[in-house]
Amino acid sequence: VTTKDGRRAPGTLEAAVMGVLWAADAPLTATDVQRAVGGDLAYNTVQTILIRLHEKGSVERRRQGRGHLYWPVQDAATTAASQMRATLADRADRHAVLQHFAATLDESDAAVLHKLLTDARRKRRP
Amino acid sequence: MTFAVYLPLLMALPLTFTARWFARRGAPGPAAWTLTITAIAAAACSSWSLTLLTLTLFDDVPPLKALDDSPTVELPEPVPGPVALLAGLLLLTAGWRLLADLHRRLDTNRRLRAIGTAAFGLVVADWPAPLAVAVPGRSRRPGHLLLTTGILRLLDADERAVVVAHEQAHLRHRHHLFAAAAGAAAAVNPLLIPAREAVDYLVERWADEDAAADVGDRDLAAQAVARAALATTASTGVLGISGGAAVQRVLALSEPPPAPHRRRLAVPLMLGLALLSVATFATVEFVELARAWLVASA
Repeated sequence: VTTKDGRRAPGTLEAAVMGVLWAADAPLTATDVQRAVGGDLAYNTVQTILIRLHEKGSVERRRQGRGHLYWPVQDAATTAASQMRATLADRADRHAVLQHFAATLDESDAAVLHKLLTDARRKRRP
Repeated sequence: MTFAVYLPLLMALPLTFTARWFARRGAPGPAAWTLTITAIAAAACSSWSLTLLTLTLFDDVPPLKALDDSPTVELPEPVPGPVALLAGLLLLTAGWRLLADLHRRLDTNRRLRAIGTAAFGLVVADWPAPLAVAVPGRSRRPGHLLLTTGILRLLDADERAVVVAHEQAHLRHRHHLFAAAAGAAAAVNPLLIPAREAVDYLVERWADEDAAADVGDRDLAAQAVARAALATTASTGVLGISGGAAVQRVLALSEPPPAPHRRRLAVPLMLGLALLSVATFATVEFVELARAWLVASA
């Protein structure tokens, strides 16, 4: 992901790697992460990002063979979830203030979206 | 002070009725700018009118009142007392609503910032609800993303890149300021509520367009928005009242990138200019009235 001047926005790769680690059911090697992120990320780049994330305390790792297995730190994310829940539950109108990625839908909207989604997928993977 | 001073109170009406139409087509960035600025101008002008009307209450203060009753001096027709009083009440209400809206936004941002510690511009919350939020930074700080494990697990790697690019676009263009400005305008003048909704929609569209450009695939961006919207509804069980927005966003992404509609932008800009001239005219009238009173009382 790059900005219009061709540079990646800061944090983009880290977010991609964190997304892969959280979406996985089990700890991953750097090779697993590289494959899951996709695109043209070099192995060394992925390795560097994993090390930096480990240093920041976002991921944990243990040795396996010649490399490491990585998984996301659970505690901070659990705490963040309860704080987030409290913030959003506090007042209904907070939802109006938040800039959500996705709005909620009514039934006919959902039906329209399902159809659009099928079409979009057909276009992307013919 | 008979006509011009009342006009700005109603001049938001064209915006009330065209905001939706205006947001529907064209590049979202210029539209968001134009609509936000016009909404602020409309809110400022209507508040100024209410202020002028309220100020005429002061012709009821005893020395001036005595003057008014004296048959020897002829004075310009002021605003009827009840109208001025009503204007004062409306002005107070507007001020109250403005403060409440600002407080609510600042409070929410403060609480969102307090969630977790951002590393590389990201906080992950382990929560199944599929949510992605751009948490604005304070002053010169860049802000960060708040993503739930729900949305990370729902989407594949390509779609996650769309979400990240979308939220980063919100931060990069400081969309929360557009939302806050339009929100403040709507709090002051409820006729501008559709304009606020249009600005909220336009900044989402703006972030969608940026994300689509970043990942270089409009269909992928459309797919990510559609899947996230469907999952949000399924998991929260909330049937939205503004859900049509997600459909509109997906539809817009399935079309070619929009170009700015200059003629469309001219409509709110003209309205803004008209508002400023009427407000100026009303102010001149008010000054003349005040001068007449002062001369008479001297």
